[in-house]
Amino acid sequence: MRDYLTLNAQILFWIFFAPFRGKSLRLSAVFHQMVRIGVQAVPMTALTSLSIGITLAMQGAHELSRMGATSYVPDLVGMSLLRELGPLLVGVVVIGRSGSAVTAELGTMKVSEEIEALEVMAINPIRFLVVPRFLAMLVMLPALTVFGNYIGMTGGWAICRFSLDMPTEGYIRRLIESSHAMDLYSGMIKSVVFAWLIITISCFYGLKVKGGAEGVGRATTQSVVVSILTMLIADALLTAIFFVIET
Amino acid sequence: MSANEKDDYKGPVIEVRDLVRKFGNRTVLNGISFTVEKGDTMIIMGGSGCGKSTLLRHIIGSMKPTSGSIKIFGQEITTMSGPELDRLRLRFGMNFQFGALLQSLTVGENVALPLIENSRVDPEIVDLVVKMKLELVGLTGFEHLKPAEISGGMRKRVGLARAVALDPELLFSDEPTSGLDPIMTAVIDQLTLDLTRKLDMTAVVVTHDMTSAFRIGTKMIMLGAGPKQGTIIAMGTPEEIRNSDNPEVQQFINGHPDGPIPLKLAKEDYIDRLLDEP
Repeated sequence: MRDYLTLNAQILFWIFFAPFRGKSLRLSAVFHQMVRIGVQAVPMTALTSLSIGITLAMQGAHELSRMGATSYVPDLVGMSLLRELGPLLVGVVVIGRSGSAVTAELGTMKVSEEIEALEVMAINPIRFLVVPRFLAMLVMLPALTVFGNYIGMTGGWAICRFSLDMPTEGYIRRLIESSHAMDLYSGMIKSVVFAWLIITISCFYGLKVKGGAEGVGRATTQSVVVSILTMLIADALLTAIFFVIET
Repeated sequence: MSANEKDDYKGPVIEVRDLVRKFGNRTVLNGISFTVEKGDTMIIMGGSGCGKSTLLRHIIGSMKPTSGSIKIFGQEITTMSGPELDRLRLRFGMNFQFGALLQSLTVGENVALPLIENSRVDPEIVDLVVKMKLELVGLTGFEHLKPAEISGGMRKRVGLARAVALDPELLFSDEPTSGLDPIMTAVIDQLTLDLTRKLDMTAVVVTHDMTSAFRIGTKMIMLGAGPKQGTIIAMGTPEEIRNSDNPEVQQFINGHPDGPIPLKLAKEDYIDRLLDEP
């Protein structure tokens, strides 16, 4: 735990203090990682969000139709995606795609002495390897979440339009009327916190790999399990905080 | 670091005193002491698992000793960390046993890495230096390949090119010639000789290869095995080592299977172990 907090402190040092001492950020590496973590995750995020949007609308329509309230389906879809499912599902996608990859990559570098070689060349591995991934994740996870929210709402629209015969403009109007800025903000805050947790946990497990290929495999499993659990716990805590603030 | 600081120091380049390192209850290094003077090529030899690489890792500051002192250019490296350690590390290059190249970068980018990260030279000059350093190790034209696309021996040579990219005053090499063909071994040896004799670089080379050791070494130490694990059993010039009357040294440099050096690390007798097995 102490090592994990130290890693966080080191990341913040290399982002906020080191650039003023002549050790600049490696922006090209940040963009490179943004493509790997963000852009390449777009298809999978789209597919996941679309399925969830469709599922939400169908489940909602089924329950709400018994009370004759199918006009509330857009409210349900928008609210669930913005506040809860959007950030969470995109988080799961990114843990599976990028969190595991980061741990495996850093772990392999540790095992093959690449990280030691960096240190001996007086290149700090946190600055060189961790910071670009950290910044890329902090930008791209919220961006993917916004994107996922849109796609999910499109899924909801498909059900409302073709199954419930709701006009498109009615669906959009209903979505806009029912959602508040706070719904979006709370989802975005969650997304940033998830991004922070996912990338620091992935890097942490990657950097402390010991013992060859088996060690890399073990660390990757641990990193995915711990990331998902931590994210769910953080989600519950944040939801509780927003609940208290808003009531 | 100013140029004066480099020139002022006249003492030994490396000074190791009573170095002890324990892993659990196993003592890997047990009271190692030696000095390396400027311009020396120090050869560290000994059987597999005798602690050669561990010793090297302590000298470059990757590992911290249980006790003892290591001074590089007169500065204690065992207690250093952060920017202070980085400043010292800029003055030496390390050639890892398996190259330790960054797999995500090309050969050229690997050699350029220390230049880009630790010096303020123009990209054109970086390109030029990369070409020169690769030419030194006979790998011109391989700049654009990834480390995974070249052979193990080539990776080691790229590792050497990267280690000397910043023209360090001190070069560490961990088995630079193992796995290379005899001609390439001679080329790498000649390169080490050129760097040390002509440019007055100091080198510390860990090697098993006796031909190469006697070709480049100006000073040698041999680490013991078995009960003498982690101690220096012989130290001297190549001539003194060759004429040593220590039977362990003679067995090692002549490569005899039988002799005083114990082959097995286990303490119990082989027959006892066999009979004890369930």
